[in-house]
Amino acid sequence: MSSPAIKSSWWMPDIPKSAVLRRRMLWAYVFVAAPIIALLVFLAGPILFSGWVSLHRWDMLSPVGDMPWRGLQNYVFLLTRDSIFIKALGNTFLFAIGGVGANTILGLGFALLLNSRIRGRTVWRVLYFMPVITAPLALAVMFSFIFDRNYGIVNSVITALGLPRQPFLSGPNQALMTLIFIAIYQYVGYYIVIFLAGLQGIPQDYYDAAQVDGAGNWQEFRFITLPLLRPVMLFVVVTNTIGALQVFDLVFATTGGAPANSSMTVVLHMYNTAFKFSRMGRASAMAFILFAIIMLITVMQVRLLRDRSYQD
Amino acid sequence: MSFNRSILVLLSLALILIFGAATLAQDTTLTMLTHWGTEDQLAAQQAIIDAYMESNPGVNIELVTVDFGELRTKIITGRTAGISADVYHFYHLWLPDFVNAGVLDQPPEDALAYINENVAQGTIDAVSTSDGQTWGYPTEVNPYLLVYNKRLLAEAGYDTPPANWNELKEIAAAITQVDDTGAISQVGLGVMPGWDSGIVHPFSALLFSNGGNYLSADRTVAEFNSAQGIETLQLYADLVASGGTDPSINGLGNFPSGTVGMVIMAPWWRATLRAAEGVDFETEVRVAEIPVGPSGDAPSSIAYTWLFAVDSSSPNKEAAWDFIHWMNAEHDEGAGSAIGDFLVNALGAIPSFDHDQAAFAESMSDHYVSAFVAASAYARPEQIVAGGQEIKTLLQVEIEAVLAGMTTPEDALASVEQQANAILEEQRMMAEE
Repeated sequence: MSSPAIKSSWWMPDIPKSAVLRRRMLWAYVFVAAPIIALLVFLAGPILFSGWVSLHRWDMLSPVGDMPWRGLQNYVFLLTRDSIFIKALGNTFLFAIGGVGANTILGLGFALLLNSRIRGRTVWRVLYFMPVITAPLALAVMFSFIFDRNYGIVNSVITALGLPRQPFLSGPNQALMTLIFIAIYQYVGYYIVIFLAGLQGIPQDYYDAAQVDGAGNWQEFRFITLPLLRPVMLFVVVTNTIGALQVFDLVFATTGGAPANSSMTVVLHMYNTAFKFSRMGRASAMAFILFAIIMLITVMQVRLLRDRSYQD
Repeated sequence: MSFNRSILVLLSLALILIFGAATLAQDTTLTMLTHWGTEDQLAAQQAIIDAYMESNPGVNIELVTVDFGELRTKIITGRTAGISADVYHFYHLWLPDFVNAGVLDQPPEDALAYINENVAQGTIDAVSTSDGQTWGYPTEVNPYLLVYNKRLLAEAGYDTPPANWNELKEIAAAITQVDDTGAISQVGLGVMPGWDSGIVHPFSALLFSNGGNYLSADRTVAEFNSAQGIETLQLYADLVASGGTDPSINGLGNFPSGTVGMVIMAPWWRATLRAAEGVDFETEVRVAEIPVGPSGDAPSSIAYTWLFAVDSSSPNKEAAWDFIHWMNAEHDEGAGSAIGDFLVNALGAIPSFDHDQAAFAESMSDHYVSAFVAASAYARPEQIVAGGQEIKTLLQVEIEAVLAGMTTPEDALASVEQQANAILEEQRMMAEE
């Protein structure tokens, strides 16, 4: 027989009357409270503090209580006068568009190949995934050598083919594109695995039925694979976009934003502004602008992909 | 009481006694933060620390080193996190920012008297704020000069280093070698993109040798956007156009491998050059004055300084200043100080204190350091100002833009001047608030 329960309030579920059960419920709240408190202290707290700092001028050295109030000046400066921020924003968008587009297309393409009955399928899967588990800084250093203008192996191949030598990471028009290429190499293996899991979750029955109806490979892909992969696609596009808009380590370790800010990204500029120039207020404002942009893009992506999948 | 419980109590008491005794024996712990991090440099610093601890029982000193690129960040984040070091060794350009934020403790009177008595006024000024307050013990003095590879110059047909900019351009272009595929195997003048000091200090040395200024004398306005400044940046553009330099060949990394003819650099590089495999330090590495520009009348240069200072939040300020003084003071006449010995023999830098310059004169008399010692007499100290690091980085980026052919010298300097003056104005307003 279950214990009678009392209704406490709108935010608390029914609490059993039994003393033993009530004590158990109390402990449940204690255990739930611990991570919530940790979340408030280590996540919500810093976010709120960062928002407060973004309205001030703070060098991180002076006491917090002495921060001069600046209102929205940091935001206005970034959006109207900070040419490096505007440049970094443009670069970050390009990086995200190039990286997300290529990772999605290549990830899906390679996943389709690896899902078919090709020889050495397991070996290929391991090879594609290896860059994902390689330390990003190690990859960055390796590619700095590979793409070196004078001694890099890529230029050796290019010139052996009779083509002109390219500056790659040291060229203002090529540095960002080269970084996008490195990022694709680094992360495409991860998205292959995600797409592969999605592909293997599609029941074979659908393909069998389609074949009975006379559907070809393209029709199977267009009308079965793609629609059923939309949830996976949504995950890939959203997580990849968020990651790409926050890119830091790769740029920091290869070009440092050079030459002449041609490969500067928002988070690297944020880091420089905070720790090199001691402008934590302005850097915090950058973080909030980037957060707003990411939020907006994510909502748009979710709406676009989710709604269509529901219709299907 | 059970047997197990008795053992537990005894063990706890033993631990309390051991750690209690250790705490009593070393009742003062100081942390020193420096950027000298190679194996040899760490060993030399630890030897100094060990010697001090031996003669000062009860004081424990912990050495923390980080790469120069992370030093400022380490100081800032340490302060914010409440785990700042007691003793800092830092670049003097950051001094105004640190002073304005109350990071530093004012040196005691006897320390100031010792510094005033034993250091040249120009060097004292370099570690003092505009109000005349000195904030620490100056250490290395680093003027910039033209370091060149005598063999590469000779192979290009030149026996003497360039004395003016026309000669610099001519020799640099003659040294550069490009193969059929366009690969640069050897470059005349090496630049150091990606490193603010490696770009801005050589630019400043050339600017001063062309009769220009960095900031106004009262440090309130940027003055590098002048006819002399534009000529200096045009020199870079000309060097790129003639092939005399190329930003894809980094002078810092490639001069020691023997593929760069000339580079504008500081004396602390001696240890690297001595260990280099691509260039023979004794027979090939030579140093010359900065070539004079068309608007200049004599070679000039820039010199920067570092200093030891104490964190204002340190609970052991007195002990920290005592340790710094001990490192910099001459204990036996004619023997020099511990830091002086380290700076000269481990780094190849020029020490600030007169007694070190006298004691280690012989070590500084080699063909490399002696040229820098001579230059320290006329090199202009780097002008320090709040926000100076930001201005320097902005200038670095624009110089790199000129090197990459992305902008003209006129546009580059006009852009930085505007931003630099805004920063200086902002700092002035902050000081008045």
